[in-house]
Amino acid sequence: MRSGGRTLRRDDAFRLGLTPALVVLAAITIAPAVFLLLTSLTPLNLSLPDTAWDFSAPLGNYIDLLDDPRFSRSVWVQVKLSVATVAVQLLMGLGVALLLNADTPIRRFARTGFLIPMVLPPIVVGIVWRVMYAVDISPFHRLMDWIGLPVGSLITNPDTALTAIVIAESWEWFPFTMLMALAALQMVPAAPVEAARIDGASEWQIFRYVVFPYIQQTMLVAGIFRLIDSIKAFPLIFVLTDGGPGDVTEVTNYYAYRQAFTFSLWGYGSAIATLMVIGIFVLSWAINRLTRPADA
Amino acid sequence: MKTAGARATRRKILKAGAGSLLVPMTMMAGKAPAQVGKKPFDGVTLNVSCWSSTYPTLLAQYIPEFTEKTGIKVNYDTPGFPVYNQRADLELSTKGSGFDVLNVTFIYTSRWIGAGWLAPLDEFLKNPERTPADWDFADFLPGAVQPMRDKSGAVFGIPWIADVMLAGAGRFDLFKANGLGMPDTFDELDRAMQIVNKKDGVAGYGIENHWGWTFIPFLQGFGGNVFRNPPDDLMPMLDTPEAAQAAEFFAKLINSYGPPAAAGYTYDQVTEAQRAGRINYAPQNHVFLALLGEAGSKVTATSNFSMVPAGPKGRFPGIASHGWGIPVGAKNKAASWEFIKWALTKEMVLRLVEKHGLGSVTRQSLLSSPAYKQKMVINGVDTGQLFLDTIAFASKGYMKYRTMHVYPQVNAQINQAISRVVSGQMKAKESLAQAQTNAISDLKRAGVKL
Repeated sequence: MRSGGRTLRRDDAFRLGLTPALVVLAAITIAPAVFLLLTSLTPLNLSLPDTAWDFSAPLGNYIDLLDDPRFSRSVWVQVKLSVATVAVQLLMGLGVALLLNADTPIRRFARTGFLIPMVLPPIVVGIVWRVMYAVDISPFHRLMDWIGLPVGSLITNPDTALTAIVIAESWEWFPFTMLMALAALQMVPAAPVEAARIDGASEWQIFRYVVFPYIQQTMLVAGIFRLIDSIKAFPLIFVLTDGGPGDVTEVTNYYAYRQAFTFSLWGYGSAIATLMVIGIFVLSWAINRLTRPADA
Repeated sequence: MKTAGARATRRKILKAGAGSLLVPMTMMAGKAPAQVGKKPFDGVTLNVSCWSSTYPTLLAQYIPEFTEKTGIKVNYDTPGFPVYNQRADLELSTKGSGFDVLNVTFIYTSRWIGAGWLAPLDEFLKNPERTPADWDFADFLPGAVQPMRDKSGAVFGIPWIADVMLAGAGRFDLFKANGLGMPDTFDELDRAMQIVNKKDGVAGYGIENHWGWTFIPFLQGFGGNVFRNPPDDLMPMLDTPEAAQAAEFFAKLINSYGPPAAAGYTYDQVTEAQRAGRINYAPQNHVFLALLGEAGSKVTATSNFSMVPAGPKGRFPGIASHGWGIPVGAKNKAASWEFIKWALTKEMVLRLVEKHGLGSVTRQSLLSSPAYKQKMVINGVDTGQLFLDTIAFASKGYMKYRTMHVYPQVNAQINQAISRVVSGQMKAKESLAQAQTNAISDLKRAGVKL
């Protein structure tokens, strides 16, 4: 009894101690999510105030979404953008990290330099690339003109607009994967590398069979972070293409933004946002399952 | 205790002394003494926002005068057109008090007024204590005020600009050298562009990529329209043969005669390219074309202007007006009104015309003033008269489509559809059919019965 009573009191103390954190969590995370969900069950149109708490057709927005080709197209654009940006960022990040994986003054300086894109405000990155893609003034376009290979505008051409976004997005965020890779590379023990070298392994073989197994989990985590973050791609699209030309760069969150902020259809926009939240949860869960170590 | 008591005594003595001085002063004046230099709205701060255009930009430098006169401090903001509209639309929809004075954007007039997001201004206009007779509301162009009224005739905005689309050629000398005048029809425009494009290294044609504004004169010129019969019948009419014909012609002008990446040009890029002599001809809002005659322009001496060309079914120049309004949630509407009144006095607008060459005014008295007429003559062409001739088209009613509360939805569809055609993603017919389907579902979702 005494022991049980002490346990009870200890549990109560834990609960009491957790309460502030749970209240904060509820206030800043759960309440807005619940509000989003509730809004998605209404046809809320800001210019028609009566639609605010109209739950007469709670699944109306979701049924509409099933039959909305622009929504499905936006999901496909999102998939293409996410896959391409994550792949490019992982390759670039790893490549640059391998080059910088030595402690010399020049490389230390270069590491700092490479971090600059990541710390710039996204809107500044957008402006930088807006200039880079402006045919009249861009150094890239001028250079191509000068060498006799003129390149048309990348952001107004439907065949290249998404690639242009991928390039800008990758430039902004590859330093993140580079940092992760660099940290992992510096944790690789020297002994197995030395042993492999003594055994006559080539540099590629050392990387593939000795170094990479050490860093692959870190790269996976970096990839997951970037994958989830890629779904939030917005500022670059807003500044560079406005979702166009046509709708070739209109990703799902941009479509939700249009519905909510341009057309004031907050119910419909919330339904899209809710599906995105669910999608991200499912994605995170699936990746977690797939990458969990076998003995866990 | 002793110290506290001493303080209390000293305070009482000071109070008594002050009182003994105030009593005779009050008796002498017969009323409470006024604070020296006190202004009617001292301590009030207004948040004012408008999209970036010539008038609001020029007005900014005179705001200290307004503060000096009224005591009202002003936080003044002029973001770009799309950014402004999104910000204002969101703020108004909350009926919040974040802004005290906002621009009433033409395409949002019906939506913002209809939803009750703006305060009626009649109580200020009809109150002689608030608005002196010589402010003269009747002086504003009726065509510019009309979109700012609701069905009952109540006024929700005072227009500061009547935006009129004209056509300007920065390098008209290239037209003249080839025996061409300013194009008066679509056919003449096409012929002229074939001849002058790339002459002297100048691209023939440029146009703002806000297709929902710049494409419509072509759409209507070919006999198409945006809605079937606004405001009674809002069925979109984007998939008609006329619309497809207009889109093909429109895309041809951009792709065949425009500079590289012409499809990405915003209004300021078109203006700057024209001023720099990189683009020759452009249908543009007259306020931007007027900048061809301003300092820094390389083409003032070679420029020429006309009304926008007519299509097979007539001439349909874009006309819009924007005005100052007060959000319904604004806390100090009297102070807001003071700002609007000040910003649109005849004297203020005349100063902007005389000192800065403001090209768009909404007061009839100023339109006919010698100062305005003189400023509007660019390279010998009376653009003021072109403005007046064009604004007369407003009475035909073809601009109604633009003030419908669901126009933003259709505007977005037109932007995307034309973008697909210009960029070669789709043929005009296919792209417009897609826009029609999308517009119908957007309108239904917004509660429009079709």
